[in-house]
Amino acid sequence: MLWSQNASPLRSRNLCLVVCISLLSGVLSSLPDLSDKSCTFKVTLHNFRVILSWELKNRSIVPDRYTLQYTVISRPDGVKIVEHCSNITASFCDLTDVWEVLPETYAVMVDGFRGNTTLVTCFTDFFLAAEISLEPPEFDIVNFTDHINVNVNFPPVLPKILEELLQFHLSLIIEEQSGEIVKKHNPALDEHVIGNFTYVIDKLLPNTNYCVSVYFMPRNLEAIRRSPIKCTLLQPARDTGLSESARIGGIITMFLIAAVFISTIIILKRVGYICLRNNFPKVLNFNNLSAWVVPEMPPWEAVAFVEVIHINRKKKEWNYNYDDESDSNDEATAPLTSTGGYTKHGLLTGLPGPTSASSPTGQDCLELDTEEPNLSEPKGEPPMAPEPSLGRGKLLQDCFFEDGSSTEEAGDKIVFNVNLSSVFVSTLDDDVSTLDDDSDVPPVLPSFPEEDSHTPEPSFLATSREGTQQPFPTPSAECPWPEDVLSDKRDSSEPNVDIGDGYIMR
Amino acid sequence: MSTKPDVIRKCLWPACLVGLLITGILSLDCNLLHFHLRKVTWQNLRLLSSTSSSFPAECLSETKAFELPQEILSHTQPVKRYIKEAFYEMSIQAFNIFSQYTLKSTWESDYLKQIQIGLDQQLQYLEQCLEEEEQEKEDWKEMTEDGMNWSGALVPQLSSLELRRYFNRIDNFLKEKRYSHCAWEIIRAEIRRCFYYFQKFAARLRKK
Repeated sequence: MLWSQNASPLRSRNLCLVVCISLLSGVLSSLPDLSDKSCTFKVTLHNFRVILSWELKNRSIVPDRYTLQYTVISRPDGVKIVEHCSNITASFCDLTDVWEVLPETYAVMVDGFRGNTTLVTCFTDFFLAAEISLEPPEFDIVNFTDHINVNVNFPPVLPKILEELLQFHLSLIIEEQSGEIVKKHNPALDEHVIGNFTYVIDKLLPNTNYCVSVYFMPRNLEAIRRSPIKCTLLQPARDTGLSESARIGGIITMFLIAAVFISTIIILKRVGYICLRNNFPKVLNFNNLSAWVVPEMPPWEAVAFVEVIHINRKKKEWNYNYDDESDSNDEATAPLTSTGGYTKHGLLTGLPGPTSASSPTGQDCLELDTEEPNLSEPKGEPPMAPEPSLGRGKLLQDCFFEDGSSTEEAGDKIVFNVNLSSVFVSTLDDDVSTLDDDSDVPPVLPSFPEEDSHTPEPSFLATSREGTQQPFPTPSAECPWPEDVLSDKRDSSEPNVDIGDGYIMR
Repeated sequence: MSTKPDVIRKCLWPACLVGLLITGILSLDCNLLHFHLRKVTWQNLRLLSSTSSSFPAECLSETKAFELPQEILSHTQPVKRYIKEAFYEMSIQAFNIFSQYTLKSTWESDYLKQIQIGLDQQLQYLEQCLEEEEQEKEDWKEMTEDGMNWSGALVPQLSSLELRRYFNRIDNFLKEKRYSHCAWEIIRAEIRRCFYYFQKFAARLRKK
């Protein structure tokens, strides 16, 4: 009974408390949410515009329109309504021309409506100098052969807040990337920069892919938001411009060609194929010789041109007919006389002259001793020393039978050079004194004529009597007989010639 | 035999050089004052903005204009010496204000400590550089006959009294609002704004 009387006031108290709490919760739930946790706000510098954007955390609440209000904390001017952001359906608002002072703290209130009902109210504050998010600017790139033009589109009229940002807080960074190489360019921006801003990235490699990115970097090392990269492939170099690698290859090729050429020249010069040496050995250098012993010239050898006239004689057959006529005829025709068992041949010698005489008119008539012992001497001589028995023909016959009683014609003339040093020759003493014209002319040695294949050995002189003699080519000069000599000899044109001691004397 | 004196002699000069080098490193170069001031000021500004709590909406009705001196707000080029003095006054006043925040720790205590440490370092730096300038000023006065030719008398000066008045208003506001949460939030926003203008002010030291 007593417990029941005390319980009733407690029950009523508890009941009131519960009711109050429920009512309070209901009221609070019905009130609009004034905390900043209902919305997520963001202030960005987008394309050089200050954009305030918001997003409701409770996605179940979807207002159909929004209204934005703000106030400046340092200025107690009340809450201001942004007219162009009233009753908007978008969840963002451009406040570039509203928020012009950077270091201020702006308190923002956003009301979300649906119809006439306020669904949500969001509140926040922003200190723009430290909390504004910098989005990268829009830019274009124009590629060339070796450089890229980066065009950043600045607005025609720069907002005041942007002037202060660019002056104190922001740096424009242009990033250039090629492969793994990244280069940053920090162009100097004027605080009053407007319009298109062009920056040239030069000293690039042609025909190479480059990626460019542009962004604002806060000078206080805050978070950086890079722009999407834009890549381009540079144009290949033209004819005038070569890539660096091709240029290096061309230079190396030129060096190799020059090296090969120079080495070839050097080798040829050393071998002596070109640029033959003009320097003689020292032993052959006679320039510095102060004394030169010139050996005495050997005395000129008497050289006389002799024309040998070949006369074919029939072999005399000994006829045992001892008639006087035959003997006398034979003796008449004998061109030679033999005395003392020697057969002597005369060789007409004389200077070569323009007169071509079928019959020699040489100055001297030389008669060679055909004695065998004497013949043996010249036999040992070279062919240049013909046997004295050679030429026993018409030459000698003419000497003796100058009156025209030569029986043999000069059909076969043999002219050869005789080396007088190898034969015994004799010259008439009178002939020497009478040779006025030819006194200065040294005796000419008969030259050995040219031999053909049919010419016999030099011993043909020994057999000249017996057999036919091979004709020898006549030398160019014939031995003219001096007429004085001939006259003297004609006077004594007798076949009988004093042949003593091997000399023909007249 | 006498190796120790030789060793001392050999090491004496290098030791002196190293000592001078260390002293030079440890001593603050007043030529880099602007860099230090700008850096510390911006750091304090960021700390004041890093508190988790946002400005309360209910405090909007209690906001007040504290009227920061116009010399700081404008883009005029004051004399370098007065910039240093203004910094010194601002630093010491702000340090005093934040040292009074012991009643309600609505902010992060770590951030508050860091702000105070930064302001203290800034004060030491400024004291050293101002003493050097004072010494140079006295030497220059002895050299010249007319002390009134000092350029400081002709250039519009940044009155440190205005700064003191500014911070007095702040202090009075706190006292008036009894160091309420809204008052501190309002003061936080105002000092952050002051730091920003002084950070711009420091850039003029470099330009000079």
